[in-house]
Amino acid sequence: MFEVRFHGRGGQGAVMAAQTLAEAAVIEGRHAHAFPFFGAERRGAPVMAFARIDDEKISIKSQVYEPDLLVVLDESLIDIEPVARGLKKDGKAVVNTRKSPQEIDLGVEVECATVNANAIALEFLKAPIVNTAILGAVARITDLVSIGSMKQAIENRFGEKFGEAAARINIGAAEAAYEQASVGLCQGRRPLVIKREWLPDWRDIPIGNSLSAGIKDGVMVGPGGARQNLTGSWRMQTPHYDQEKCVRCLRCWFTCPEGCIKREDDDHVRWDLNYCKGCGICSQVCPVTAIDMIKGGSR
Amino acid sequence: MKVRVISADHAVAYAAKIARTEVIPSFPITPQTLIVEQLAEFISNGELDADFIPADSEHSVMSIAIGASAGGVRVFTATSSQGLALMHEMLYCVPQNRLPIVMANVNRSLGAASGIWVEYNDSMAERDSGWLQLYVEDNQEALDATLMAFRLAEDRRVLLPVMICLDGFILSHTVEKVELPEQEEMDNFLPKYDPLNILDPADPKVINPIIPPEYAMEMRYQLDRAIEHSREVIVEVEKEFAKAFGRSYGGLIDTYRMEDAKFAMLTLGTATGLARRTVDEMRAEGKKAGLIKLRFMRPFPFKELCEATKDLKSLGVFDRSVSFNGGGPVHTEVAASLCNVPVTVTGHIAGIGGRDITPRHMRDMYDLVEKATKGEDVRKVTWHGLRGDME
Repeated sequence: MFEVRFHGRGGQGAVMAAQTLAEAAVIEGRHAHAFPFFGAERRGAPVMAFARIDDEKISIKSQVYEPDLLVVLDESLIDIEPVARGLKKDGKAVVNTRKSPQEIDLGVEVECATVNANAIALEFLKAPIVNTAILGAVARITDLVSIGSMKQAIENRFGEKFGEAAARINIGAAEAAYEQASVGLCQGRRPLVIKREWLPDWRDIPIGNSLSAGIKDGVMVGPGGARQNLTGSWRMQTPHYDQEKCVRCLRCWFTCPEGCIKREDDDHVRWDLNYCKGCGICSQVCPVTAIDMIKGGSR
Repeated sequence: MKVRVISADHAVAYAAKIARTEVIPSFPITPQTLIVEQLAEFISNGELDADFIPADSEHSVMSIAIGASAGGVRVFTATSSQGLALMHEMLYCVPQNRLPIVMANVNRSLGAASGIWVEYNDSMAERDSGWLQLYVEDNQEALDATLMAFRLAEDRRVLLPVMICLDGFILSHTVEKVELPEQEEMDNFLPKYDPLNILDPADPKVINPIIPPEYAMEMRYQLDRAIEHSREVIVEVEKEFAKAFGRSYGGLIDTYRMEDAKFAMLTLGTATGLARRTVDEMRAEGKKAGLIKLRFMRPFPFKELCEATKDLKSLGVFDRSVSFNGGGPVHTEVAASLCNVPVTVTGHIAGIGGRDITPRHMRDMYDLVEKATKGEDVRKVTWHGLRGDME
């Protein structure tokens, strides 16, 4: 049995990637399944997805703890969680990054394909949805499924959901990534430990499903936790504000789903980039194009 | 102490009054309405200083109760049947939040086959919610159980909601002699409510966040243990109550003429009184009949039942509701808890939808249970008073 674990952020398409990989394996006459695990968070929050491929019917439904293949759709996750935990010594990895495999430290030294899936996705899809690009790199580094089956699976799943044209450009993204991926050994120096974990036994769980603000084993709990969880780090594009053009209609301020646009006394606005996820809604609703979305996050 | 001839609904309302309840969210539903009406009257004539909050549904009633209780005040409410079902979602919040809300559920059948008369299918459907749940036999017990419920619920070792279940109409609308304790006596028995968690703007808390798999299991086990530990507090509160008011009810179960009994019925609610009479009748005939009265459905008296039935040959279990194709819910739980006791357990369903349970029905139950002591074949579950032969 071959086991795959995907790490991504909500909205990048990790779940569809896992499903598509499973479908590609089924196209080749094998058994496969895929399933997600995510919390109650929103677009941009860390998610996982799992896939298994085997010649026999797969009876296990547990999560994947010792993957043969690790797929990282968002490079920033490597710094916040031990994504390569349990990765087999002879396993493989795929990482969405501008860097070469040798510049990536996953914590386990394995054969690794790196590809700038963000750039490919923005070129083909005009959106930072990197799942199909990453699948091209998966086909490149493993002989799990052929690039042909992968393309067929993309056509099936994306075609059915989004139409033929969408299927075509997604296949284009996969092909480009298959070509552009660079393969080499990544570094294995990073310690693979969970930095912050609060796992009290049943006697130590606070009574009443109620938490005061505070710190438990390094984890912020209770009200105010968002102060530490700077969701602006998920941003892949950043609003650029032209105050001269602004007519102070406040539509951006009103529609920002994060509430991170602050209203000044004179009804001009400013962004709290600690929490701006770069969704671009402010830019869309601006009637005078005073807000441009610029590629890249900024910290 | 004064003696009045009042309904169980009135008795329960009186108990909530002398418990100095502070918030009463309410929605009327027969046969519970007399309780909240009586409480509204106590407030309007100045006998009770409480906020009476008429809500737009029972779902809102329980939501208000949760908010008020989390705000640190003593909360009482009452409901029945469809009202309890509409609360279902919010009921589950209360035990996990460890809020000591006290509620009377005046048992009424849950439709379809809608009716306003007694059946236990409303409260039995909530036995997995984490509420402590008890059933009462008469109006005095309805009052006394409500008084004890506040003390039990608010005990720091418990901190759980309590649901007092009483038979619709048979208790709720029946007047009988009830001894009413004085306010001062209750004040001595029930300390001021000292909440553990209070929603306070000066000390912000988050209550009921989404709980990932890493924590939910420990929280559930913690709640399971809290319900387990409430057993000893129930016994303790009973003792304190007996000391203060001179009446006691036996704790989780009560027994009647069980000393040398060979066969017995286990009953709950008002059928218990009828069973006592039948036991006397059979004893007069020289038959060794006994009775176990189930008071608490949660916590369930596993150990007490094993002890009480260890010398029995045959036990019949009365149910006033059906777990379809599974007999009655009390029957299945009793049978499960007695799986290592060599006693024949049979189920006896009666009084469905408020069908009157007559002395004849109860005698038929006892006769079947006695028959089983002789090794004769008795149905696993018998419906008493059913028209047409059972399949």
